[in-house]
Amino acid sequence: MMSLPFLFFACGLGAAWMQHRGVAMGFWFVGLVAMLVLFRVHVTEVLNIAL
Amino acid sequence: MSADLSRLLNAIGLLAIGTVLALALVDQVWFSDLPCGQCILQRAGFFAAGFGIALNVIFGPKPSHYGIAILGAMAGGAISLHQTLLHIVPGTGSYGNAVFGMHLYTWAFFAFALTIIGCAIMMLDDRQFARSAPMSARLRVLPLSALLLFMALVIANIFSTVALCGAGHCPDNPSDYIMLATSPV
Repeated sequence: MMSLPFLFFACGLGAAWMQHRGVAMGFWFVGLVAMLVLFRVHVTEVLNIAL
Repeated sequence: MSADLSRLLNAIGLLAIGTVLALALVDQVWFSDLPCGQCILQRAGFFAAGFGIALNVIFGPKPSHYGIAILGAMAGGAISLHQTLLHIVPGTGSYGNAVFGMHLYTWAFFAFALTIIGCAIMMLDDRQFARSAPMSARLRVLPLSALLLFMALVIANIFSTVALCGAGHCPDNPSDYIMLATSPV
């Protein structure tokens, strides 16, 4: 699950390498969305402090 | 600034981002400093930002590529800022080893900010966008090296993250590689 953004970015880089600019940018966008969704999951990690 | 010079400068920027990611990987493997979930997402942020710079190297400089780099750096910067703020109150602990007095997530925030500033400065010169001719052969070594390093690092991070977290979410404080554990976790 956490490797999904890397996977999308890798696919995007592969597409860019093969001169498919639009496809590469599409993969980048999906990777960015995946990254932000995963951050949404992890952002709720609580801070254990005693004030 | 010519398109060739812009590509060269972008290649140097990509190499700098690749160096940051390579050092993070060295810290993980050599010093057994396993990354937390948010640390991994910050690495993804570096790839999101570096992606735009890689597009500049491959296709030539375009404003949309700089936009991609800035958006990726903003996303990564938000994650690193969040993690920095989690530990900013004295006595609330920290995550991982400090490097030159600051933790990696704090350094990451500065690196993302530098990426945004660098892209903004690069975009000030419009002449680089005038044409996108193929790069001359004698200038290809550095961009090609930077691209190959960047691609190798993204593949290394896929394997590293799968080994560390398996198919699910990464633990907040990992103690071992889930996929490599000999006993059930």
